[in-house]
Amino acid sequence: MSVTNHAALIKACANGRQSALKELMEAEGGRMLGVARRILRRQDLAEDAVQESFVLLWRRAGQFDAARGSAKGWIYTILRNRCLTMLRNSDREISVDLQEHEVASDDFVLEAAWSRLDAASDLRVCLEQLEPERRAAILSCYVLGYSHGELAGRMKAPLGSVKSWIRRGLKKLRECMG
Amino acid sequence: MTERSLDDLIDEVVIGLASEEDCARIEKLAERDSEIAARLDRARTRYMALDETADELELPAQMWERVAADIATKQASTEGGNPAEIVELAPAIRNRNRWRIMAIGAMAATIMLAVVLGWTLNSRLEPTVIAVLLDAQGQPVALVEGARNNKTLVTLLEAAQVPDNQVMQVWTKPNSDGPPVSLGLLPSERSGVLEVRGLPSPAADQLYEITFEPDGGSPTNLPTGPILGKGFAKTPVF
Repeated sequence: MSVTNHAALIKACANGRQSALKELMEAEGGRMLGVARRILRRQDLAEDAVQESFVLLWRRAGQFDAARGSAKGWIYTILRNRCLTMLRNSDREISVDLQEHEVASDDFVLEAAWSRLDAASDLRVCLEQLEPERRAAILSCYVLGYSHGELAGRMKAPLGSVKSWIRRGLKKLRECMG
Repeated sequence: MTERSLDDLIDEVVIGLASEEDCARIEKLAERDSEIAARLDRARTRYMALDETADELELPAQMWERVAADIATKQASTEGGNPAEIVELAPAIRNRNRWRIMAIGAMAATIMLAVVLGWTLNSRLEPTVIAVLLDAQGQPVALVEGARNNKTLVTLLEAAQVPDNQVMQVWTKPNSDGPPVSLGLLPSERSGVLEVRGLPSPAADQLYEITFEPDGGSPTNLPTGPILGKGFAKTPVF
């Protein structure tokens, strides 16, 4: 298996080499679609998000600075931001009142993510130290794109207290992971 | 802002809880301050393992073509030129209005120049109609001059980013209710003169457009690809 040099490919994109973008798509496109699908739930929207992300990636390649962060992180940040914007602009506000089957399918996706998370990773070790509810809440933000409002709706708790409750969880994770 | 709340905010940006304004604020801070950039990157790296837990799904067969077409049409607009230039422009964003005025001025000058050059250098062409083709953003991308004998001079007003294995094809609608008819290809990605026989002489209000088609031209003999630009012909006043 060849190792993809994401940073070099982004640089090549900045120099106008389209084959580099294609190579990035072959290396990361499938996973990116999976990430988008979890957040947007719908295949067509997820495909749009991936398509738009590659266009953005091409146009912003010149702004990428390897000294300021990982190339893969940069790529997935573009994708995640695109997905979240689409999500917030769509009508998933109704998710504040999640239907039963949606709760079930969200739980299933979260379960899968949790079980696949590398047992040796710092994130896994530190998430395990949180109470299960707080862990699930943080995971549903990252994995499913839940907003504070959706969390509050699902937990039937006031928005303000959910915000500070999550914040305390994030702080614990930071301290744990260093 | 206390140190702690900045860390909170960075984490919220990374896990997707921050508002778009907060995200933009943190991105801006990170651009200016490498220490904040490093903190942001550390926070991203912490959660990145979760991206790896997503299914690797099969991309639709046309995904690359869709992206390539988007890139071609977006770059054909005046927005960026090649991506490297975006960096050069970044510090100037604050002067956006001044840039806009300059850009519009430059554009007008380009069109004037193209029109004047077209008329003086190709006076033998004697165009009966002239059309300025605009892209989806309303920016001029090409000047088309059609003569009575259906010789057509196409002057590109900026270098088009033609996707790999594609070519620019020029179309017109001699009959506004009829199908588009190909005037020919611009294989060298440069301005050129096209000649077709058997068409009626071009008239005012006739539609002209340029699309990206597979090498060799559209397989269906009708436009299939993304549109670089289109416009309606006018009769020049000599």
